[in-house]
Amino acid sequence: MEFFHQYQPQHYLVLAAILFALGAAGVVLRRNAIIVLMSVELMLNAVNLTFLTFSRFPLVQSAPMQGGILQGHAAVFFVIATAAAEAAVGLAILIAVFRSRTSINVDEFDSLKS
Amino acid sequence: MEVNWLHLVPLLPLAGAALCGLAGKWLPKAWLYSAALVSVLLSFCIGVFAFAHLGEGNFQFHELAFSWFSVGTLHVDLGLTFDKLSGTLVLVITGVGFLIHLYSVAYIDEDPGYWRYFAYLNLFVAAMLTLVLGDNLVAMFVGWEGVGLCSYLLIGFWFDDDAKAYAGRKAFVVNRIGDFGFLIGVFVLFTATGSVNFAQINAAPLTLGIASAAAALLFLGACGKSAQLPLYIWLPDAMAGPTPVSALIHAATMVTAGVYMVARLSHVYVSAPGVMAVVAVVGALTALWGALIGTAQSDIKKVLAYSTVSQLGFMFIGVGVGAFFAGTMHLVTHAFFKACLFLGAGAVIHGLHGEQDLARMGGLRRYMPHTRATFAIATVAITGVLPLSGFFSKDEILAQAAHTKAFDFLTLTPQGTSHLTWLGPGIYVLGTLTAGITSFYMWRCYLLTFEGEFRGGKDVHPHESPWLMTAPLWILAILSVVALVLGLPGHWAEALHLEAFNWQHFSEGLFSPVRGGEPAEGNVLFGFGIAWAVALAGGALAWSLYQPGRELTGDERFARTFPRMRRAFVDKLYVDEFYGWLFLRPLWNLARGLWRVVDATLIDGLFVNGTAQLVSGVGSLARRFQNGNVQRYAAVTALGVAGLVYVFLVRG
Repeated sequence: MEFFHQYQPQHYLVLAAILFALGAAGVVLRRNAIIVLMSVELMLNAVNLTFLTFSRFPLVQSAPMQGGILQGHAAVFFVIATAAAEAAVGLAILIAVFRSRTSINVDEFDSLKS
Repeated sequence: MEVNWLHLVPLLPLAGAALCGLAGKWLPKAWLYSAALVSVLLSFCIGVFAFAHLGEGNFQFHELAFSWFSVGTLHVDLGLTFDKLSGTLVLVITGVGFLIHLYSVAYIDEDPGYWRYFAYLNLFVAAMLTLVLGDNLVAMFVGWEGVGLCSYLLIGFWFDDDAKAYAGRKAFVVNRIGDFGFLIGVFVLFTATGSVNFAQINAAPLTLGIASAAAALLFLGACGKSAQLPLYIWLPDAMAGPTPVSALIHAATMVTAGVYMVARLSHVYVSAPGVMAVVAVVGALTALWGALIGTAQSDIKKVLAYSTVSQLGFMFIGVGVGAFFAGTMHLVTHAFFKACLFLGAGAVIHGLHGEQDLARMGGLRRYMPHTRATFAIATVAITGVLPLSGFFSKDEILAQAAHTKAFDFLTLTPQGTSHLTWLGPGIYVLGTLTAGITSFYMWRCYLLTFEGEFRGGKDVHPHESPWLMTAPLWILAILSVVALVLGLPGHWAEALHLEAFNWQHFSEGLFSPVRGGEPAEGNVLFGFGIAWAVALAGGALAWSLYQPGRELTGDERFARTFPRMRRAFVDKLYVDEFYGWLFLRPLWNLARGLWRVVDATLIDGLFVNGTAQLVSGVGSLARRFQNGNVQRYAAVTALGVAGLVYVFLVRG
């Protein structure tokens, strides 16, 4: 645990921000739909890291306790569960799209144009 | 005397018009003709009946048909007055109108629009009767506009010919200019007297200013309707209509409405001596103007049209010098002989299958003896050769002009001498000159049409018209002779026991006396001598140029002697060109400019198409955002979030 103590919350937050930005860039720029889904996972996990950071280093010390407060952890569990469901649904959609279009290149999906 | 049957006079032709116009297409021809003819004939009979019962102690029949409208202090009743003046005109309108209806039955029978024609003709008679019978200016205005409408409809009767439709439009537009003056004149009179009723206006005291304004404005209306300078230009073009229409509307009745109006409002006019001088001068100039142009026209109807313009000028001389009886008498006699001339021309055109050019006529006396005889009688009447009606009425006008005192009132000096005394004799000289020219061009027209050898094509076979057309011709010819009893000088009439018919005696009390007093009695025989000499001189000149055998060389000799003058007459003294230059072209250019700049560029370009282009431009920009690519949407969303983050976290 000594290893972690040398890091301040801003280090975690910057890492989370870099991860989030990488994920966002992947969502926006990549053509492959599977990679896009993976990038979404990356963004979600960046958010998780942020939650945990604020859980470990609360901004308001309402009740002093070892290891911070637990609400952030609870939120992270919800996010992980949702992300798992999202990945399942997303992959299922991808398979359905691939069957009809024989492609998973997101540039070719423009049926939202009406 | 109040009666309750007078409204039938205009109503019967109106009913005929409604029947012909609404059901005429499906009615058998004979029924349609009888409906149209009988309605006018019945009106005529009522007119005769009423006329016979006018007499001592019963100077007019009056009917209040209904109270029309009442706004503020303005009360307008549709009242009808049948006195000696309107009664005479009713007889002329329905009498000549009936003859022309009769003639039209043969003339228009083969035209597919015959039912339309009779509807318009009946409507015209109804409107004209409203005009003369109306006892107030508003009712008169209704008739005034009604006859204008019928004139427009009948000039453009063959509306698939562009030139004819254009002529109708021209008549309508030119008349609008006059009507605008007429309406303002009515407003002025109403403001000054508080009434539009003739009886009340003619009894109201009018100041010189008010009377002059009203009289001048109303005369502008008369200029339009009665084809006086400067608004006469529509009448010659109105000859595009069927010839019986030219006879009825554009010679005998409608165009005399202005004269009737001036005579009806004699009180207003004698209260405005300056305007009377204007009326007389305009009349004299128009008479001369029309006669000059008439000398060189090659279309038989155009000759008669300019002759009508000229004769209307004579009538306005009459009313302008205060001799209202003389002006209206000429109105009546002119209705007879000019209708006869026009119907004669119609018979000629009919017999030559539509030919109107004098150059391709000639020698028709052999083919059309009845037409020729009646045309000759009417020509004698219009040129003013002694015993016929035109002579007496025209000469009465000129004699009155020579001795008039109508303009003295304006210029009476303390010494009692007047300054405008030269105007009357001046008009007399102009009128006498015009009479000579009239004689010249009418005889030219007669000689070129009926004498000499036939100059038309070999395949044209002139023929006399059926009796339906020659009978009205003869009746009108006889009337234009018999009407001389109207104008016999007083002591001649007394000697012949005809003073009951003498127009001056007959119309006594109808018109207001001029303020300068009665004109001095001139030497009747002296005036007659001059008039006769002038008429004969004109006729002799025509004979020397156009006698049988010389024929068209007359025009050439005329052209050789006075080339530029004849050119100007042939080109109608360039009035149409002048108006085109003065009004039409600037208006056209203005309209074209407005169309290009305001309509095409501003309204169409900027407002209508501009709005559409703006919407479509914005749409084509916005369309790029909806390309269906979720990644692009996400990118935009991310950018937006980044922007919000920047705004709220970094700058906030």
